[in-house]
Amino acid sequence: MTTMELSAGAAKRRGAGGWRWSGRIFLAVLVVFTVVPMVWMFITSLKTGFAAMQYPPQWWPAEPTLENYWRLVDPNGSVGRDFIQYFWNSVWVSTITTVLAVVVAVPAAYAFSRFRFPGRNFLFFAVLLRNMFPAVVFLVPLFILMKALGLVNTHGSLVLTYLTFGLPLAIWLLKGFYDNIPIQLEQAARIDGATRFQAFFLIVMPLSTPGIIATSIYSFIGAWNEYIYAYTFLTRHDQMTLPVGIQRFFSENATDWPGLMAATFLMSIPVVVLFLVLQRYFVRALTEGAVKH
Amino acid sequence: MAQVILKDVVKNYGDVFAVNHVSLTVEDGEFVALVGPSGCGKTTTLNLVAGLIPMSGGTVSIGDRDVTDLDPKDRDIAMVFQNYALYPQKSVYKNLAFPLQMRKLPSAEIDKKVRDAARTLDITHLLERKPRELSGGQQQRVALGRALVREPRAFLMDEPLSNLDAKLRVQMRSEIKRFHQDLNATIIYVTHDQLEAVTMSDKMAVMNGGYLQQYDSPANVFGNPVNMFVASFVGSPAMSLIPLTASTSGGTTSLTSPEGWSMPLSDANARKAAKATSSKIVLGARHSTIKVHKSQVPGSVPGKVYTVEPTGDITFAQVFVSGATVNVSVEPSFQLRPDEPVFLEFDQNRLHLFDGETEMALTL
Repeated sequence: MTTMELSAGAAKRRGAGGWRWSGRIFLAVLVVFTVVPMVWMFITSLKTGFAAMQYPPQWWPAEPTLENYWRLVDPNGSVGRDFIQYFWNSVWVSTITTVLAVVVAVPAAYAFSRFRFPGRNFLFFAVLLRNMFPAVVFLVPLFILMKALGLVNTHGSLVLTYLTFGLPLAIWLLKGFYDNIPIQLEQAARIDGATRFQAFFLIVMPLSTPGIIATSIYSFIGAWNEYIYAYTFLTRHDQMTLPVGIQRFFSENATDWPGLMAATFLMSIPVVVLFLVLQRYFVRALTEGAVKH
Repeated sequence: MAQVILKDVVKNYGDVFAVNHVSLTVEDGEFVALVGPSGCGKTTTLNLVAGLIPMSGGTVSIGDRDVTDLDPKDRDIAMVFQNYALYPQKSVYKNLAFPLQMRKLPSAEIDKKVRDAARTLDITHLLERKPRELSGGQQQRVALGRALVREPRAFLMDEPLSNLDAKLRVQMRSEIKRFHQDLNATIIYVTHDQLEAVTMSDKMAVMNGGYLQQYDSPANVFGNPVNMFVASFVGSPAMSLIPLTASTSGGTTSLTSPEGWSMPLSDANARKAAKATSSKIVLGARHSTIKVHKSQVPGSVPGKVYTVEPTGDITFAQVFVSGATVNVSVEPSFQLRPDEPVFLEFDQNRLHLFDGETEMALTL
């Protein structure tokens, strides 16, 4: 190598290093942006009601307490009883939504990917059409529909609604997966002695596991976080889901900030745990596709 | 192993006929190559035999059973795919075991058969690996192993070598041929490579546009092509075809070029030419039957060298004759230059004549 090439190489490295550092700084800012509110939420949840309102704020509570959490999970207190009820309502609605989304989206996506049938394109774009409008546009029509169906104040109304939001994306994502799985795999399985269903169930579906998991996470988080529909469709206390139920901490006279933060923190836990456990599949689903070529 | 019989097989998508009334019999233990350009219907035909797509008409029987309406799983066949179609989530062992598991064999027997097949194909050391950890050649062996582990009645192979590099392809070609001989297997082998078909098969079925053009031994297909398509498809370099006009004067039949020269035909060839539906005749000749001269000899026709391709022990050249490109070959010592005028002498006993209208071979 000549001196010139050497210095050119060094300049190139410096350039790459500059990019790398600006990337790191950008990511650091992003992390601070997302993490600080969560940290503040957690710190506040450990404070007493008085400490939470102090100015200047206490960066770390002088007398940290878990009392807010005990109140939420104590089944004997009225707050605890309600919170646990909301929590289970949310788990129930989100789980049913997720299970139904997978049960419907997997065969639907497979059919869209593999079969040519009359109306296929129309149906596929009809599925996507829903996603072209903001969710709130459907609030009133769906409420009227649910009322006609007698589903107002039931979890069924929420499950149905969440499915109409979750399914298009789920079907779209999974169809991409099935498009990427060579049809020869199924053909090989059928020749090797599998029925059409076995070929799907034993060979194709396991290959789409990352997609199914990603779809499940989407549906679950979507249903878990949803507020406006739950607020509109449910008026009975024993039916409410967490996002609506937590409203109770904003009372007419004073807001119980530490209690609200503790409830919010507990509400975040299932989603965070789910994501941490499954993020490996999630990333694979969005970046890699089912089969490496 | 068993005989495979296709009778009047049709597959159409609306007005488009992918397979048009194809009938052929593959004898027990025979290696038949389905060959043709892409889109000729050969893979569709294979998929119809496998039962992977529904037939529009006709019947398929394997052994003494009519399998036309049976599912692929009930046809007792094995198939090797171009992309191998190994199950990516399963180890090699489980790939080989899958067809046996689907037939609910006891696991001890499965284990024995899998290990036997692995030994035959020399892949025992790969059994615990996943397909993506294997090279192309190794994947190909596993695909073969999965086909033979079950001892099916017939093997179907869909371009199994076309994803391999040239060197490996030649090696696997002889291995598949050996595999056929050792197992006395009935094999239907789809390829677009006529050389593969000629070198490997007992019989080749040449297809074009959904029609079966010719079904015969490679020697006969090569030596007596039934029409211009087969003539130009089989053989490398391809048979050269020159469109000419037949005319008879003074008891001699000659082929005349629009450029003015004419070439007298032998008696046998003259009688063939007389059977044509019009005076339009296409002369066909393979490079090995054409002599190249630098000066005019009796019966030779004029041409102009276009390209020269020395390969070492033989030199190929393309010569323009009456607007057509003619492939010829000469000794490496015979010097040819582009644009050089030459004279071609055709071997009257080995040239082919085709009807210019029907494109069919003219025979006695």
